[in-house]
Amino acid sequence: MARPRLSKNNHTLILLIVGLLSWLIPGAGFFFLNEKKRAIIIFVTLLLIFGAGLYIGSIGVIDPYGSWPWYIAQVMFSPLVMILGHYVSAGGFPVYGKPAEIGQIYTGIAGLLNLLCIIKSVYLAHLYRIETDGGQNVADD
Amino acid sequence: MSPMIDYVIATFTSPENIGTNPQSLLWLLPLAAAISIGYKATKLSEIKAGSFFKDVVGLFGSIVVFMAITALVLYAITWFATK
Repeated sequence: MARPRLSKNNHTLILLIVGLLSWLIPGAGFFFLNEKKRAIIIFVTLLLIFGAGLYIGSIGVIDPYGSWPWYIAQVMFSPLVMILGHYVSAGGFPVYGKPAEIGQIYTGIAGLLNLLCIIKSVYLAHLYRIETDGGQNVADD
Repeated sequence: MSPMIDYVIATFTSPENIGTNPQSLLWLLPLAAAISIGYKATKLSEIKAGSFFKDVVGLFGSIVVFMAITALVLYAITWFATK
């Protein structure tokens, strides 16, 4: 499929949109780039692993204050985690011991895997431009 | 809200009962599988069922084997240090 030639500003905008989409919904950046199989695999896998983490440890594992290093990794999964974090920080959700440990690891790894997907989808969007321009605009950038 | 939705939400508000026993290490397996699938989904230039599955199984196996070797080495070090 022929992709339209993009100006430098459009290209930056596309990279930004792809990055934001990937962050908002895991795999959405790939979907936008017409990589549907990849998008579905990533969406299902990351959602399952993040959901499993919340199920095992309870939503209390998202703790912006008590365990902020994990929280940073969890937020990479989606900005919606910040809303959940705000809701959870009000308290009342028990989290302790081994389930908390496993829940944090699962949700944190899901976030970090999504960070990898964000970077990869933005890079792929960048490569598409090089392909459509035949490499001519690479030196201009 | 319906009782069904209430029940589903409630399952996410309290932790599961997981002990600190050797069996709890098996929770590593779903995580290793997810890492393998997620990583290979971004890494492969083209997703084809056969080659994707083969690559995922290969990476999953190497993660598990490496973790097992690491565990054995750590166990051996502890055994030598405490005997």
